[in-house]
Amino acid sequence: MQDHLPPGIAMVKCENLEEWQMDIKVLDQNPLYQDQTYRLKFTFSNKYPIEPPEVQFIQCAESTGTPRSIPIHPHIYSNGIICLDLLGSSGWSPVQNVESICMSLQSMLTANTRDERPAGDQEFVATNRRRIRDINFVYEDDNV
Amino acid sequence: MDAPSDISDPTQWLETPLSLLAPLESALRCQVCKEFFDNPVITSCCHTFCSLCIRRCLSADGKCPACRAQDQELKLRRNWAVQELVDAFQTARPRVLEFSMETARQAQAENREEPVHKKRKVAPAEEHIQVPEPSSEGRRTRSQRHHPQPEEHPAIENPQIIEDSQDEEEYIPEDGLVACPICNRKMKEEAVFSHLNIHQGDESPKKPQSTSSSFGPLRAPQKSLVFSGKPPERIPAINYSILKENALRKKLSDLGIPNWGPKQLLHKRHTEWMNLWNANCDSKIPKSKRELLQELDIWERTQGGLATGPSPFVSSTNVMRKDFDAKEWSSSHDDDFRRLIANARKKVGAKMAPATETAPTPSEPPANGSLVEPNIDADADHVIDLSG
Repeated sequence: MQDHLPPGIAMVKCENLEEWQMDIKVLDQNPLYQDQTYRLKFTFSNKYPIEPPEVQFIQCAESTGTPRSIPIHPHIYSNGIICLDLLGSSGWSPVQNVESICMSLQSMLTANTRDERPAGDQEFVATNRRRIRDINFVYEDDNV
Repeated sequence: MDAPSDISDPTQWLETPLSLLAPLESALRCQVCKEFFDNPVITSCCHTFCSLCIRRCLSADGKCPACRAQDQELKLRRNWAVQELVDAFQTARPRVLEFSMETARQAQAENREEPVHKKRKVAPAEEHIQVPEPSSEGRRTRSQRHHPQPEEHPAIENPQIIEDSQDEEEYIPEDGLVACPICNRKMKEEAVFSHLNIHQGDESPKKPQSTSSSFGPLRAPQKSLVFSGKPPERIPAINYSILKENALRKKLSDLGIPNWGPKQLLHKRHTEWMNLWNANCDSKIPKSKRELLQELDIWERTQGGLATGPSPFVSSTNVMRKDFDAKEWSSSHDDDFRRLIANARKKVGAKMAPATETAPTPSEPPANGSLVEPNIDADADHVIDLSG
């Protein structure tokens, strides 16, 4: 499978069926993300694919040899939590898979022009203790 | 959904000259479980899934996973044409794949040691296969298909390719005629469908199933697709909200399935059993109730009352997703989350202490055992991630 992934998507870790890590790149010239690689963590429950996996960007330190940061985006909190309807119970469909999620996130980044975090980012990051799937996002903005 | 003894994947074709079979194989797989269709059924919106997969999806949110149209399990219909396609493809797959990989290996070898004249015989067939069909040409006519056959035939009979005669049919060149799947009479391909109308209303095949091996090799996977005997009766859906706990408990014991646990769990177990059972009714070779009970037991240990998943508590399948008020739920359970997080942290600190209390499982089955620990660890890591 590794060899047949779409461009800009690579498998990093998939030893078990609970957690996978993937690297994604934005392929066009969007200056916000140019030449950057981002690390995604997928956590699968035993109800996957009926239920969505939890997906978030994660940071990797310089010392790991593969430094990764959290991409700047109005729907991505600075702790890596992503606000995307596809990943919530309401927008999820069991026909989605790791590859399709990665591609959705690639296009979500590609299409973005705003160099900003979501409103209330600091507060959310400081106070959120909920698991990702329980966060009740409001998908108010379809433009980004 | 067999045991994954040999994991097959559509991408296996991509390294072979038959890479065009990858999309064909993908089309024969369920979009939910990614396996070959198992008892395929078609929805009102004309999407096909494994019977069990779509039933589980519909009980979770009542929508088609492909197009999100509302649908009901009562409206699902068997898709036997797809079942036949899958059976035929799966039967042919190992040999075709082996043949194709062998061809690729030979081509590689030839490239390395330049001119090898002995192999020339294989080459025409190989080139013939390699040529990607331009889609504009559409289907190949029969006359075109027949020309290369004298060359193709020896290549297929090549002893390297036939692996320990797992299936005893041999290759018989096509005569352009195909056999009716029911009466086995030979006829032109295009005549079969109209001919099949003759058999409509026939309750059972004219010949017993055991003679099906006398069908030509190209018909090999043909088992009788016509219902034999009376179908097992389906379990009707019930409205759990109007049923009292004890009535539901009685229903479960009437069905012969475990009836312990709180109402929520009874509900989930009944749904799973109904899905397993009704999907089995769609099978042309139904399993025994005993096998289904084993499958329910697996469910019990992975997703039911004995499960110790990362979030058995907050899982939205406790409630049908369509009825689930996430905001209400998360605010009313905020304390629980905090308590669980605190517990999890303690557990990680104390290392390895079995943490059965964290799982909100029913009190009855004491058999939670040691499966719990890794999940708790994962949980705690996760929480720390978020806050950090």
